[in-house]
Amino acid sequence: MISLKDIKVVFGKGTPLQKQALNGVSLTIDQGSFVTVIGSNGAGKSTLLGVLAGDVLPTEGQVLIGTTDVTRRSTASRAGLVARVFQDPLTGSCGPLSIEENLALAARRGERRGLVSALGPKRREHFRERIADLNLGLENRMQDRMDLLSGGQRQAVSLVMATLAGSEVLLLDEHTAALDPGMAEFIMGLTQKIVSERKLTTLMVTHSMRQALDYGHRTVMLHGGEIVLDVAGDSRKDLQVEDLIAMFRKMRGQTLDDDALLIG
Amino acid sequence: MSQIAFWGALELGLVYAFVALGVFLAFRVLDFPDLTVDGSFPLGAAVAAVLIIAGLNPWLASGVAMIAGAAAGLVTAMLNVRFRILNLLASILTMIALFSVNLRVMGKPNVALLNVETMLSPLYGHGLRDFYVRPLFIGVLVVIAVILVWRFLESDAGLAMRATGANARMSRAQGINTDRQIYLGIAISNALVALGGALFAQTNGFADVTSGVGTIVVGLAAVIIGETLLGTRGILIALIGCVLGSILYRIAIQLALSTDMLGLQASDLNFVTAVLVTFALILPRLRRGGAA
Repeated sequence: MISLKDIKVVFGKGTPLQKQALNGVSLTIDQGSFVTVIGSNGAGKSTLLGVLAGDVLPTEGQVLIGTTDVTRRSTASRAGLVARVFQDPLTGSCGPLSIEENLALAARRGERRGLVSALGPKRREHFRERIADLNLGLENRMQDRMDLLSGGQRQAVSLVMATLAGSEVLLLDEHTAALDPGMAEFIMGLTQKIVSERKLTTLMVTHSMRQALDYGHRTVMLHGGEIVLDVAGDSRKDLQVEDLIAMFRKMRGQTLDDDALLIG
Repeated sequence: MSQIAFWGALELGLVYAFVALGVFLAFRVLDFPDLTVDGSFPLGAAVAAVLIIAGLNPWLASGVAMIAGAAAGLVTAMLNVRFRILNLLASILTMIALFSVNLRVMGKPNVALLNVETMLSPLYGHGLRDFYVRPLFIGVLVVIAVILVWRFLESDAGLAMRATGANARMSRAQGINTDRQIYLGIAISNALVALGGALFAQTNGFADVTSGVGTIVVGLAAVIIGETLLGTRGILIALIGCVLGSILYRIAIQLALSTDMLGLQASDLNFVTAVLVTFALILPRLRRGGAA
């Protein structure tokens, strides 16, 4: 479960560039629920994700993951509770390390790292099996450097990495935005499979209205640092991409012809 | 080059292999350009020499020298991590300060280690000439150091350190305290360099406050020569490359200086060093077929 209570985030407080990125956001996501988050640029999506991941510490409010209060905890110290896949495939994994070394890193997320060999035969076999599940043929390239892989392959491995340590919360930060349409679809299918198999509490930020409505159980729209739409169940089923675009337009009070092309 | 000169170059190369391993940890693993080594090398020499003269067991004295080196590394790491001073600058500050510290430790610019018990003393006089004994003994220590560093870098803890240098943001998302990794890595790096200094003092019979000048260049030269020759196909190969690079560097210097034809003298050392390192840097480019 994730619970945000009246989160406020102010950047550059007291300077001429002061910006209220989140303005009293409260959001509770039930155990095993999959929530998609949309919003225009500057709406606060990334800040919201940062607050959950620990990159951004809120000015006010409380963040609970499960029953643990993580409001003031650093990214590293809460990593055992939260898994994350980044937008940029290069950010989510270590280029100079091999595929299996990246998996070994992820497998110890949130645990003490001792002097035991990171790649014993047992772990190697386990990693190999997990990568073989992707059906990308990567199980034969376990010792290849991560930066030899394509962006899509890296995101696929990142998803596996996110599930190795067994945290219950998964944060997805526009994780298909940098991929070609075919690969994006593959990664979304994989995401769906992993989330439902492992019953992960998931928050996915996306720019694609289509994705926001097609995946998950609930959709939240942010604007100006506040939640302006929160739909689930039947009312969400009836919602069309066109409706969302119309809402965007209303919110901005301007025409969105160009954006409509981009985000439709 | 005479046989004695060859074994001497081998010995010096093996002593500086510890520097190369330390430089590899800082520059390559952590991506932290650390010039502290110019100060921690003579620090190791000074601490070991003074303690040995005071009657301490030379193994213990060398251990204390390593701790002193680690402490110097921690200062650099703290300036960078805690006070946000640029890593290169932080290490220069520590290096400058260590020059004075080393003078304080020794009480004078140069300390002779004659007629005292060193780590090597028990090995002399068993039929093997001294100039063979020294490189063999240090070679054994180098092998042990390489194995330890290798096993460390392939452990969970070492993997965290490598990840910190390669992608700090990802490392934090994987629960790695990257600040702590920098403290640990720079401390280990300078402990290795200080051990090199301690061995230098014991094999050469003196500790000198100026012996640290250019240590970083020598260490970096060794790392780069190793990479040029063996590539970067894995941790163990990279570490062996450091050792090999350090030895070849010394032999190349010795060859250059002992070839009468070139007309070089000992004071040309730094120039020859610069030429060698430059050559090692551009060699991979030349091999790839020229045009940069």
